[in-house]
Amino acid sequence: MAGRPSILARTWTTPVILIIILAALQLAALAVGSGPFNQTIIEIFIRVVLVVGLYVFIGNSGVISFGHIGFTCLGAYMTAWLTMLPAIKKSKLKGLPDIILDNKLAYGWGLLAAVIFAGLAAFVAGKVLMRLSGIAASIATFAVLAVIIQVYSNWDSVTGAQSSVVGIPIVRVVWPYFLCAGAAVLVAYAHQISRSGLALRAARDEATAAAASGVDIPRERLVAFTISGGIMGLGGALFAHSVGVVTPDTFYLGLTFITLSMLVVGGMNSLSGAVLGVVILSIIIQLLRWMEKGVDIGGASFALPLGVQEIAIGAVMIVILMYRPAGLTRNRELVWPPRKLSPEGRPAAPADGKTA
Amino acid sequence: MTALLQILFDALSLGSLYALGALGIALIFGVMRLVNFAHGDYIAFCVFAMLWPSIDAAAIVFAGNLPTVILVPFILAVGAGLSVLSEIVVFRRFRNANPATMMIASFALGFVIKYFLLMLYSSRPKSIDLWSNLTRQIEIAGARIPPLQVITIGVTIVILIALTAFLKRTRFGLEMRAAAENFTMARMLGVRANRVIMLAFAVSGMLAAAVGLILVTQTGTVDIQMGANLMLVAFVATVIGGLGSLPGAVLAGYLIGAATVIMQVVLPPDARPFRDAFVYGAVIVMLIWRPNGLFASRAAKQRV
Amino acid sequence: MKSFLQLGLGAALGALMLAAPAAMAAGDKIVVGFATAQSGFMQAYDKPAEDAARIRIDEINKAGGLLGKQIEIVAADTKTDRAEGAKAGLEVIDKGADLVVVSCDYDFGAPAALAAEAAGKVSFFLCAESVKAGIQGVGPHSFSASVLAAVQGATMAEWAYNKKNARTFYRLLDTWTEYNKGICDGFDWQLPKLKDARLVGEDTFKNDDASIAAQITRIKSLPQEPDAIMLCTMMPGGVSAVKQIRAAGIKSMILNGSGMSGSYWLSATPDLSNFFVPDQGSVHGDDPNPKVNEFNAMYKAATGSDPSSQYVYPGYVMIDVWAKAVERAKSTDADAVVAELEKMKDEPTLFGPRTFTAELHHQNKGRYLITAVENGKARVVDEWTISEPIPVDYLASK
Repeated sequence: MAGRPSILARTWTTPVILIIILAALQLAALAVGSGPFNQTIIEIFIRVVLVVGLYVFIGNSGVISFGHIGFTCLGAYMTAWLTMLPAIKKSKLKGLPDIILDNKLAYGWGLLAAVIFAGLAAFVAGKVLMRLSGIAASIATFAVLAVIIQVYSNWDSVTGAQSSVVGIPIVRVVWPYFLCAGAAVLVAYAHQISRSGLALRAARDEATAAAASGVDIPRERLVAFTISGGIMGLGGALFAHSVGVVTPDTFYLGLTFITLSMLVVGGMNSLSGAVLGVVILSIIIQLLRWMEKGVDIGGASFALPLGVQEIAIGAVMIVILMYRPAGLTRNRELVWPPRKLSPEGRPAAPADGKTA
Repeated sequence: MTALLQILFDALSLGSLYALGALGIALIFGVMRLVNFAHGDYIAFCVFAMLWPSIDAAAIVFAGNLPTVILVPFILAVGAGLSVLSEIVVFRRFRNANPATMMIASFALGFVIKYFLLMLYSSRPKSIDLWSNLTRQIEIAGARIPPLQVITIGVTIVILIALTAFLKRTRFGLEMRAAAENFTMARMLGVRANRVIMLAFAVSGMLAAAVGLILVTQTGTVDIQMGANLMLVAFVATVIGGLGSLPGAVLAGYLIGAATVIMQVVLPPDARPFRDAFVYGAVIVMLIWRPNGLFASRAAKQRV
Repeated sequence: MKSFLQLGLGAALGALMLAAPAAMAAGDKIVVGFATAQSGFMQAYDKPAEDAARIRIDEINKAGGLLGKQIEIVAADTKTDRAEGAKAGLEVIDKGADLVVVSCDYDFGAPAALAAEAAGKVSFFLCAESVKAGIQGVGPHSFSASVLAAVQGATMAEWAYNKKNARTFYRLLDTWTEYNKGICDGFDWQLPKLKDARLVGEDTFKNDDASIAAQITRIKSLPQEPDAIMLCTMMPGGVSAVKQIRAAGIKSMILNGSGMSGSYWLSATPDLSNFFVPDQGSVHGDDPNPKVNEFNAMYKAATGSDPSSQYVYPGYVMIDVWAKAVERAKSTDADAVVAELEKMKDEPTLFGPRTFTAELHHQNKGRYLITAVENGKARVVDEWTISEPIPVDYLASK
């Protein structure tokens, strides 16, 4: 190892590049400044947070989780409880503790509380589940999601059951979302180059070898699960403030699959894949929507029939995965200066035919 | 006694549907390691095949008017055809991909099928009356039993026996199991893997069609979402049963059906809406207790 | 990787620029903005009411417009998605909408309505039936054109008690949506007011339950079949529930909300009888008011098919009451229009009277036609208005 630069020195450009991409979106929002456009950018930032949150666990551990959106739900409701007007809470959510009922916090505190609450919940769930691996772990995480959603959909006095919780302060400026997306990227990066993150990645690639060299796999998984749970909670809180309404069914299978798809299409083992998956798929979706609305080409109006957008996005995903089974980034990180790198930041062995 | 008998039948009736769904998913997983999330959309597609495409609220029954002896094979063929087609067009290209990639591909395929149906038929649920005399209940020893329920249970058992015999006794079955065990090796030893996999897809598609037929007879409703919930439960059942194990999938399907019915009966009214939360809680306990499922097959073990 | 970055950034900026709509200035016309679902699940529910709204707009335009100006329509698709809904709301506001029409369902319409509220615009839910679709859940400029779900439950209970002599009731709730719960809330409010009427049992199910055999067993095990089953559910699970209840040989009268209005689903239960729903107007061609039948013909001419359920009608009512308020206020200014709307007391419309107050922008009382299904045929058999309005406090506490 002597003479090799540290992992930080070799990989620090990755988060910088990713944040530059996000900053470009933020600048675009500032330049255009229209309401719907800003909302589109906000949506992309929220998805970045969610998919990066998924990545922290799934990418580093190799275990697919279907349950993370449950933590998003927890985060969304937590910020709703804390930031709504006491009058509304008292009429709709009587079952909340008095201290929450009587107070109203700024949304910044709501976001923080969401992260902590969702992270704690992930820690508790992870404590039980992290000894499982493979498909059993995936199903167990899904069961956690189902339990959370069922409870939140029926616990009238605290969550308002299926009824929408409204009165959440709406934040329509873009920069807080940008900051959160940037922060999520930095946290994910810091985790992946940390001792725990590296150990987990080693266990993902070579479980037996890693266990033999003393890696406590359930423990490292639990660390990742907790961090990613917290990030998912942040995403949920941001969602709540971007739309102003939360219901449990928002946070179920639809969102689970959309975010997972973005991660896998981007490249599930790399942070760059998580961010690019969101950005690129969002752009494709936006282009298709624009075509659905109708495009004027040389005076002739051309519009896709309604509904084609969804079919097309499904087909595009299949095609991308056919030609890039490891995702758009082929599971590699963006670095500067560009060179061919394997996921761990080591120069790829030239014999590895797959990198071509 | 009568009450117990009734609960047993109610549980069997729900469990059979889950079991048939789980069987379709377990079969594909067995040969390909693919968790096919499009399975629920196959179910919906087969049922919609009975209707003429129209976005009107009222259903225009088309193929559904065929006499039963033609209708059943027709719908089964639709299921098999769609399933084989998706193998040829999509899944064949994912033979060497990792399970996550395959899973997302299958989800994307389901998405395409769902929105295709939505475009043709709109999102409004449609109604169709199919074999309604099968749902008229007859009383046996004080318990109400619709003939459909008996048929469903019978069909499930027959299919399970037939599939097991097929896998154990025929050359195709042997090849299929060999392919499930080690795809590359089986291929080298002369197994025509593509044919085997196609056959598995065909059978799985027919199972989806069978579930669709039972479901539509029972509910009278055709809806693009109709397969989604069932597919999820079936998926969970497949894992609890031990991925790749067909009897395990069936048994777990029945267990989940029974758990749901029993919860509905014993929970007090205020707790009944939380029924599914209890069911999924039980699933977690099950998984912790037996992470490899009730019948752990060799194929499903983590290869470390 | 560099190429990726360039490609990504270039495409990002390009695509997003395209997505930005051009703001349009509304000059001498009045703009109605539809932030409704033109695709996805809600489309089947939004489209019919929206078509009815467009019919009323056409009528007004042909009669010389509103305040002498023509009404122009702008639309944005919510794609049956909440985040898209907020965007669609902002988009129609950018295009100068004076009235923002939002999705039929409260959950899907609220994001756009909240955007309209923040911009100080009047918003109308096409046919939401939750008390939140208005002041309680959006703000002082928001209204709904339909009647509360609770009124439907209360109407059916009181009508069955008075006209059908029902005394024993069974309550079967589908916990899937807030709408379903709303029907049962109204039923719960009404039942204690009916002398000698009692609840003999209750149960819940889920709309997508593959089988409700266990729930049926519970009804069957009652010592006596109840006079009426209050079924609080909607499509598609409602059809399945009705079919399974009848297949089990339970003959009790089944009462439902308007969620099962229309006859398009009766093919699933060919010989259904003793089944009742409340309707704001009849889609079966037998409305006591001939003008409704004329409207149905107009709707068919405009869209190519008959109205499939009563949820077509609130769209027409919505434009009707809003336009009247604009005429009276002589302006489209949101506060002035809201003030005029709040003055409406039993304002006659084609589909029953409408009342708006400073407390409630929704109907907590309403005239309903009672449609009966006998031998698989639906027809209007009666008309009922609950004897007293459901108190706002009760509704808000639910």
